[in-house]
Amino acid sequence: MSEPDQNILVMEGISKAFPGVQALDDVSFNLKRGEIHCLVGENGAGKSTLMKALTGVDQPDSGRIFLDGKEIQAKSPQHAQSLGISTVYQEINLCPNLSVAENILLGREPHKFGRVDWAKMNVLASETLQRLLGVDIDVTKPLGSYTVAIQQMVAIARALYMASAKILILDEPTSSLDVNETQQLFKVMKKLKDEGVGIIFITHFIGQVYEISDRITVLRNGKLVGTYDTDSITRVGLISKMIGRSLAEFDEMSKIKLDSSKHIKTEALLQAREFGLTGAIHPFDLDLHAGEVVGLAGLLGSGRTETANILFGAEKADSGSVSVNGNLVKEHSPLGSIKRGVALCPEDRKAAGIVDDLTVRENIILAIQANKGWFKYLSLQEQYEIADTYIQLLSIATPSPDQPVKNLSGGNQQKVILARWLATNPQVLILDEPTRGIDVGTKAEIQKLVLSLAEEGKACVFISSELEEVLRTSHRIVVLREREKVAEFAGEVDEKTIIHAIAGGEA
Amino acid sequence: MRKSNGHSFTWKTFTESRLFLPLIALSLILLFDLIFIPGFFAIENRDGNLHGSLIDIFRNGSTVMLLAIGMTLVIATGGIDLSVGAVMAIAASVAGILMNPSALKNEVFFVTDPNYTFQPLWLVIISALFVAILCGLWNGMLVAYVRIQPMVATLILMIAGRGIAQLITNGLRVQITYKLFTFLGQGWVILPFSLYIVAIMFVFTWLMTRKTAIGMFIESVGINFRSSFYSGIDEKKIKLMVYTFCGFCAGIAGLVASSNIKTSDANNIGLTTELDAILAVVIGGTAMAGGRFSLLASMVGALVMQAITQSMYAIGVPAFALQAIKAVVVVFVILLYSEQFRSFIRKFSVPKTEAKP
Amino acid sequence: MMGQISQFLSKNRKLIPLWSTALLALAAYAIGAYFFVGMRNPQVFFNLFRNSSYLLISAIGMTLVILTGGIDLSVSGVVALTTVSTAVLLREGWNPWGVILLMLAMGMTMGGIMGSFITYLKVQPFIATLAGMWFARGMCFFISDNAVTIDNRIFQILGKTKILIPGLTEIAIKQGNPPPYVSIPVVVGFTLFVVTIFIAHYTRFGRTVYAIGGNEGRNEQSARLMGLPVNRTKMLVYTFNGFCSALAGLALSLFVFSGHGLYASGFELDVIASVVMGGTMLTGGSGYVFGTFFGVMVLAVTQALIQFIGSLSSWWTKIVIGVLTLIFIGVQTVLANRKVGRQAAQSPEVLRAVRRKRLWQGIGVGAVFVLALASIIIISQFRAASIDGSTENTQCDVKPFRESEAAGLIQDGAVIVYHRTAGPQCVDELFAIYPDGRVTGTDGVNKVEKQVTPAEVEHLLTVISVDHKWFTADIYSTYLTPCRQCFAHNISISYDGQEKSATGVDGTTAMPPGYAFALAEIRPLLPVINPAP
Repeated sequence: MSEPDQNILVMEGISKAFPGVQALDDVSFNLKRGEIHCLVGENGAGKSTLMKALTGVDQPDSGRIFLDGKEIQAKSPQHAQSLGISTVYQEINLCPNLSVAENILLGREPHKFGRVDWAKMNVLASETLQRLLGVDIDVTKPLGSYTVAIQQMVAIARALYMASAKILILDEPTSSLDVNETQQLFKVMKKLKDEGVGIIFITHFIGQVYEISDRITVLRNGKLVGTYDTDSITRVGLISKMIGRSLAEFDEMSKIKLDSSKHIKTEALLQAREFGLTGAIHPFDLDLHAGEVVGLAGLLGSGRTETANILFGAEKADSGSVSVNGNLVKEHSPLGSIKRGVALCPEDRKAAGIVDDLTVRENIILAIQANKGWFKYLSLQEQYEIADTYIQLLSIATPSPDQPVKNLSGGNQQKVILARWLATNPQVLILDEPTRGIDVGTKAEIQKLVLSLAEEGKACVFISSELEEVLRTSHRIVVLREREKVAEFAGEVDEKTIIHAIAGGEA
Repeated sequence: MRKSNGHSFTWKTFTESRLFLPLIALSLILLFDLIFIPGFFAIENRDGNLHGSLIDIFRNGSTVMLLAIGMTLVIATGGIDLSVGAVMAIAASVAGILMNPSALKNEVFFVTDPNYTFQPLWLVIISALFVAILCGLWNGMLVAYVRIQPMVATLILMIAGRGIAQLITNGLRVQITYKLFTFLGQGWVILPFSLYIVAIMFVFTWLMTRKTAIGMFIESVGINFRSSFYSGIDEKKIKLMVYTFCGFCAGIAGLVASSNIKTSDANNIGLTTELDAILAVVIGGTAMAGGRFSLLASMVGALVMQAITQSMYAIGVPAFALQAIKAVVVVFVILLYSEQFRSFIRKFSVPKTEAKP
Repeated sequence: MMGQISQFLSKNRKLIPLWSTALLALAAYAIGAYFFVGMRNPQVFFNLFRNSSYLLISAIGMTLVILTGGIDLSVSGVVALTTVSTAVLLREGWNPWGVILLMLAMGMTMGGIMGSFITYLKVQPFIATLAGMWFARGMCFFISDNAVTIDNRIFQILGKTKILIPGLTEIAIKQGNPPPYVSIPVVVGFTLFVVTIFIAHYTRFGRTVYAIGGNEGRNEQSARLMGLPVNRTKMLVYTFNGFCSALAGLALSLFVFSGHGLYASGFELDVIASVVMGGTMLTGGSGYVFGTFFGVMVLAVTQALIQFIGSLSSWWTKIVIGVLTLIFIGVQTVLANRKVGRQAAQSPEVLRAVRRKRLWQGIGVGAVFVLALASIIIISQFRAASIDGSTENTQCDVKPFRESEAAGLIQDGAVIVYHRTAGPQCVDELFAIYPDGRVTGTDGVNKVEKQVTPAEVEHLLTVISVDHKWFTADIYSTYLTPCRQCFAHNISISYDGQEKSATGVDGTTAMPPGYAFALAEIRPLLPVINPAP
C-alpha cells in the first residue's frame, strides 16, 4: 500500500469457510496496473471463492481488499461493477435473444425524442467493439447467433462500456474457444493491458498461461502456494506446485499397492477400442482388468470426465466400441451399465449425484432399485439394512438414514453417492473425483477403500486432480492432455514423469 | 424390522410432515363452519344411509379428489396437466353415446326408461376409460418424447379436447338415465358411492407408488432428473406413465361427474375442475417444481377446496361469487406456503442438526 | 435459387413462424373464397376484423406478457367483468366516457395487483393469474346474475358506427355495392397494435421485456446482472395486459351490446393460441407483436370458414385451433431444441445444415396443415352436396324472436309460448299451449291447432317448473348463431303467478341442461305445421 500504486488491487489475508471445508485460508493476492495475472489451481483450490469475495458474490470471513489504494467491500456484483471490477464468466451472462448492440448498451442506450435511437446505438456499439477490442461484426444480429468467442467479446465490451473497468476478471474464457478465437481474445487482452486495465485470467490451459500472462498465482486446497513471474518458473515446476506431492502416508500406501498388485488378472473386464466422442474425447483404447486400479491423470479440461461418461454410457460415444466381459455393448445407457456391472460415481455431486430431497437411505439404494425395476421394490427392512451397512462402512455422519441428503455436509454427500454405487456391487467402478471436498482423513480412507475393492476382484478407474492421490492408489496410470489420451504408465512410476506427460511440449 | 430412530409422533414430525398445513387449513374452515353455520355437522340417517353437509363435502368433492390423485403424480415429476377437464368431458361423451347413440342421428332422443342402455355397463365404462387413457398417453408422449413443455402440451388437449367431446356426441347433450350408471355418482351405500370409488383409487395409487419403486422414482425424477438419469432411472417412461395415469383418473372423474348431472355436457363438465385439482395438489404441499408428494395431503387439499365451497353455499353465498372467494383463499394459501412463512413455522420446531454447506 | 431462399430464410429464422402463419391465414381465406361465393364479398373480409377486434386487443397485451416468459390466465375474467360492469353502470345512468375510463383503470389495477404478486411475492404467474380470473368472474356474478343489455346511445353509436375504408368506398359505389366498413373497436385495435409495436422496439421498457424472457429463465438473471429494471418491467407488463383486457372487454360490449359473467368463456386459450401462432414462444424472449396479428387472423378465418361450411358446428373451431396450436408449438420446439454446448465443437457447416434441415421440417409441417385444411373443406363440401344437393350454402336468414306477439299470447291466457326458428328447413314457428289443452301453431302463413288434455298440460308445467327448475337461476338465456341443422328457441312460461322467458340454440352446449329437458317435454305436444312433402 505504500508503493507508488503499482498495484491496482491488493487482497490481504482472505479466509472463507463453509460448513465442513475451509475454502480459503489466509490468501493474499495483488494485481498490478496493466498486468495480465493468471490465477491457477485445480478444482477446489479456491480460485472461484477468491473471485467471489472480490466481486461481492460472497463476503469473506476475514481479510481486506484494497482497490487503487482505497479499502473496498463489494456488496453485490452490480456494486462491484460500479466500483470498476468487471467479470466475464464462462457462462455468458447476457441475453442471447437480443442484438449485440443491445447487449452492450442496454441500460444506457441512446434516445432521440424519447424513443430508442437504434441507428446511434448500432454505431456506438460497433465503435466500441472496434476501438476497444478490434472486433468488427454486425451488431444488429442477435447475440445468440454468434459463437461463444464473439459473445465473450461482447460481454467484455459491455463491461468496459458500462463502467470504465479498472479490473477485468476473465473466468475460464477460453474453454469454448478454438485456436484462432483464443488468439483474438489475447489480442484484445493485450490492448486492454496497454491501456492500464488489470486483468485476472483464470484458466486451466497451461500453454495459454505461458503465452499471455505476466505473473502467475497458484492456489491449492484453499491455500496460497505462491506468486511467480511467468518467465521465472518452468512448466513442470508450475504443475508440480499445482498438483505435486505433499508429505503424506506415501510409503504406507505404496506398500498396500504393491501387495494388491499381485491380484491383478490378465483378462480384461472392460475393453474400449477407438472409443471416443467428437468434441469431448479423442478415440482411445483402454483395458481394465479385474483387481486393478487405473488412474486417469490430467489437468482440468483434459477430458477425464468425458471419458468416464462415455465408458458409463451417460453420453453416447460416436466412434469405436466397448465390451464388457467379452460382450460387445450395443445399447449404451446408465441402466445398461448398471446391469452389466459397470458403475460411475460422477464428478458433479450436486447436478448428477445427489437427489437432495430424498433421504440418505433412498439415495443409497437408488441405483440398485433402478436395476430391479419398478415393481421389485426392496422392502423397507432391506433398505435400512443396506443403508446401515454403508453408513457404517464409509462412516457417513448422519443422525439417521432418514435425513434428507441435502442436510449433510459435502463430504458426507459424496460418501452417500459412493455408497450408492458400491451397493450395486459392480465389476467395474469408475470414480470421478471421489475425494473432492472431503477432509484429509476421509480421503485416505477412500483411497484405501479403492485398493481393497480392487483386491476383491473389481476393476477401478480413479480420476482425480490430485496427482499424489492418483499415484498412491493406481496400479496403472493413463494420462490425458487436451482431450486425448497421450500416455500410459504401468507399475511404479515417479511423479516427475507423469507431470512431464501432462505438461507436454516444452518443460 | 428396524425403524429409523426418533420416529415417534413428536410435535416436530407433525409440523414437518406434509399433512400439517393442509390439515390446519381444513380445521380452520371446519371451525368457521362450526361457529357460523348451525347444523353444518349434523348427520342424519335416511334409510340406512348417512346424509349431511359434512357428507356432501366428500361427495361433491369426489371428482376433484379423483383428479387430484392423478395430478399429484404429474406435478411431482415437475409437470402439469391442464387437460383433465377436457378428458373428463371426452370420457363422459363416450359413455353417454354408448348408452344412448341417438345423438349421432341428430335428434335428442329423450330416454325415460332407467333400465335402457344401448351397450352394457361394463362396455361403457371400459370404453370411456380406454379413451381417457389414450388421451393421457398422448399427453405423455408429447411431454416425455417430443419434449414439449407440459403446460403447453396439455394446453393443446385442453383446447381441442372439448371440441373432440362435442364431436363424439355430435354437439348435442346426451341425457343419461341408465340407473346403474347414475349410481356411480348418485348412489348411496351408507356413504355416497362415489366415495368408495375415491377410496379404491386412493388405495390403489398408494399401493402403486409406495409399495413399488414407482413413487420413489417419480420423486427422484421431479427433484433432480439428471442425478436420476445417472442412477439408471428412465425419466421418459416415468413421465409417460404419470400422464397416462392422470388421464385414467380424469376418465373416472368424468364418469362420476356425468352420472351426477345425468348428462354428458361437453362444454361444462369439469370446466374449472382442472384448476381445482391443481390447487388441491398445491395446497397439499407438493411443489409445482416437482419432488416429494403426498397423496393423502392432496386429498386433504381437495377437501379444503370443497369445504370452502360447501361452507359458502351453506351461508348463502351465491354460486358464482364463490369463485371470487376461492381466488382469495387460494392466494392466501399460496402465500402461506411461501418461504417466509415456512421459516416462521420452523422456528417453533426443534432446529436441525447439520447445516447445509 | 433454392440456395438463395434458404439463405434468406436462415437469416430471418425468427420470422419464419410469423410468415407461415400469415401465409396460412391467407391460404385458408383463399381456399374459402374459392369454394364459397359468400366469402368473396369484401365485407366478409372486413368482418373478420370486426369480429375479432377484441381478440386482437387482448392478444397484443398477452404477447408482451408471454415475451417475459410469463402467462396471464385472467384475461377472460377481466373481459367478462368489464362487460358486466359496463352494462350495469350504464344502466344506472353513468356517463359512458367515465365508464370507459373507469373500466380501463380497473383493468390496470387488477393487472397491477397480479403483477406485484408475481414479481415481489414470487407467486408463479400461472397461479396468480388463475386466481385473478376466478376473482374477476366471481365479481361478475356479484354484480349481476343475468345478462344486462346496453342501450346507452353513445355506446350504440360507438359500436355501430361504420368506418368506411378509404379507397374501397369509391370502387364499391361504382360497382353498385354497399361500401365495406369496419367498426371503431377495429380502429382502436389497430392503433393499439401500432403503439405496442413501437413500445416493443423503441423503448427501454420494450427491450427489457425481451431481455427478461427466454433461455429457460436464465435471461432474467442476466438482465438483472446487466442492471436492467427487471421488477419494474414485470409489474408494468401485467398492468399493461390488464389495460388491454379491459379494453378488449369494452370492445366486446360494443359488439354484442350486453354484458354477462359467462362471456368470453375459454377466451384466454384463444388469446394464447393467437400469440403462439404469431410466432411468440411460450418460453419468452422471442417473437413479434406483429405476428400476433396473423395469429388472430388465423383464428378469425377459421371461425368464418366453419360458419360458412355450416355443416360443421362451432365446436370444430376448438379442435382446429387445438391442432393448429399443436403444430405451431411442435415446430417451435423442434426449431428451438438445438443442443448448444456440444455444438460449439461442431463445425459451422454442420450447424448450418442441421438448422436448414429443421427449417424445412417446420415448413413441411405447415404445408401439411394447409393441405389438410383444404381437404377438410373439400370433403365437407361433398358431404353437404350429397345431403341436400346444393353446394351453395345460402345461409338461413334467421328471423328474430317475436317477443311482443308472445307476450300478447300470454296475456290471452297461454301458459307456454314456444317460438322456434332456423333449422334445416329455416322455419319460423310460433306455438302456444293453453291450460284447457288447446295447442296452436302458426308460421305466419298457416295456422294449425291440436287438442291435448288439461291434465297433460298441468303435468307438463309441473315437470318443467319443478323437475327442471324453470323459474330458478338454473335456467338462463343463451344465444349464438344457429348452425344449419340447429334450431333457435324461445320459450316463455307463465305459471303459478310467475313468468319467465329464455332463449337457447341447439348444437351448442352453452344451453343449461334444464332447458334441453324442458324442450324435450314440450316438443311431443306440438302440432306439425308444414307436413313434409
